Amino acid sequence: MDELLLSKVRLGVVAELLSYDWVAFAELARSLDVTGGNLGAHLGKLVEAGYVEEEKNFVNKRPQTRYRLTQRGRDAFADHVSQLQSLIKAL
Amino acid sequence: MQRIDATEARDHIEMVDRILAESHQRLCTGGEYFIVWGVISAYVTILADTVGHRGLPASALWTVPVVLLAGALFSIVRGRLTRSVLKRSSLLQREFFNVLWLTLGMAFVADVAVFNIFAGLASAAVWSVAEAIVLLYIGMHGNRRAQIAGVLVVVSLIVANFAHPFAAYILAAGMLVGYAGFGVSELLARD
Repeated sequence: MDELLLSKVRLGVVAELLSYDWVAFAELARSLDVTGGNLGAHLGKLVEAGYVEEEKNFVNKRPQTRYRLTQRGRDAFADHVSQLQSLIKAL
Repeated sequence: MQRIDATEARDHIEMVDRILAESHQRLCTGGEYFIVWGVISAYVTILADTVGHRGLPASALWTVPVVLLAGALFSIVRGRLTRSVLKRSSLLQREFFNVLWLTLGMAFVADVAVFNIFAGLASAAVWSVAEAIVLLYIGMHGNRRAQIAGVLVVVSLIVANFAHPFAAYILAAGMLVGYAGFGVSELLARD
């Protein structure tokens, strides 16, 4: 299994990004019901692994960070979920 | 090395299923664009017909590039503003914009660069076809109003084909009722 996606928050982030072109940081924190600091740390690991891309810009003169899933992240998610399902079926 | 048991695995899968089920895939179409481009295409169609057949001086055609430019500027500015306030954008939305710009872009090329082939009413009909494709694409993703609007534009094309003296007016009516009308209905639904 993918070590990185064993964290429920990181798996949730990837699942949130799966159907979207991009999602803003605040929106991810709201959907996953996690604090900004906690989410930032998890996103940092996903970005570092190349699963997620980060884009910083300004909206109404305020900084906004957006995230999108990379193909690598998409493949890792599919493999990981498939292994989770195998584990459940094995019981 | 971190491990996970079957109970946790089920918990994770349930969370993923819930997130995917909640990721709404509705197309955010933006009613304003449809109103602006429906009115512009109808205006250009009627103006060209009036100049060609009803004695309006050709000098009146100078307004065509002006309204087209105004429409393009509005679309660019509105698009940038909309994008800046969105908190997320779906893959389906991106696909929709690809279809929108490809279809309307090709219609624009047909009108501006292939006017010897698509002369007169043919250019208006090309716009109607492009508008019908955009509306029916939105309709394919579950928007009933877009389905009805798309059918209205297609019907206007067919009726115009058999009522040639009034073809420009019928095509323009399709653009106004179908395309611009869909934009109005989207704005009303949003409010």
